[in-house]
Amino acid sequence: MTKFDQINIGDTLGPLELFVSKDQCRAYAKLMGMGEGAGRFTDDEAAKKEGLPGMILPGNMSLGLLSKLVTDWIGSSNAWLKQMSTTYRVPVQPDHAITIHGFITNKNPAEQTAEIDVWMENEEAERLVTGTATVEFRK
Amino acid sequence: MAVEYDPALINKVFEVTDPVEVKADKIKRYCAALRETNPIYTDEEAAKKGPYGGIVAPPSFAVTFRNGRHFFENVPRFGRRGFDAGKDVEFVAPIRPGDKVTLTSHVKEIFEKTGRTGTMVFVVIRSTLKNQKDEVLAHIDHRFMNRT
Repeated sequence: MTKFDQINIGDTLGPLELFVSKDQCRAYAKLMGMGEGAGRFTDDEAAKKEGLPGMILPGNMSLGLLSKLVTDWIGSSNAWLKQMSTTYRVPVQPDHAITIHGFITNKNPAEQTAEIDVWMENEEAERLVTGTATVEFRK
Repeated sequence: MAVEYDPALINKVFEVTDPVEVKADKIKRYCAALRETNPIYTDEEAAKKGPYGGIVAPPSFAVTFRNGRHFFENVPRFGRRGFDAGKDVEFVAPIRPGDKVTLTSHVKEIFEKTGRTGTMVFVVIRSTLKNQKDEVLAHIDHRFMNRT
């Protein structure tokens, strides 16, 4: 992790290359206490009955993975992930390679913050989830 | 035509959940589910030397707290079907093991947008997370999109 005066607009974060298995997706859903009506996150057949191609990741899991890109970058410094926004564009399927990217779009010296665009892509470079993050560089 | 709704809906708190204690084991399992390896979330000894003086949850742990039983019945509906369109989360303070967390929810705003695929009504519900000391931990804005 670098300091505020060492980062520049245009710097990239990641990419974070991931393969979320169906079991990992089920473990997340179970941990969240998702029960009845959450078949889309745990079972291919239940997901297909809802018109989906198969199991999908819960939206909050995608948010967690996008956040991880930023907190990996922050490391163990005292910079603080202050804000994260996500938009779910396309369902994210487990058992497929996904890549998470970040790109610094702005710096605010008065507030010591950086704005970052983040997004998750599939193998076809289709953007599945997009978002923004703000990191505050605390003294 | 602007979307019609009862203005009294805005800012009215419709739910305060019972406190939920953050267990260290749940943070550990959350980190495992996301393959999290950052020592400030996973290693007690390393975390003591880190910026928070001990283990904290990854920021995104804030979205794992469940809404109460009456949450969805209080989300205003418009048109055919509602979708979870995304979230805006403001992380205010770290969540620590032992925190007892409550969520307080209200309708923040309702607005209409017209795009290529037609008119959509967005309903934004804000849930504020607080700990047992009444300190704000996070604000979560849930964006629900309805096609009219």
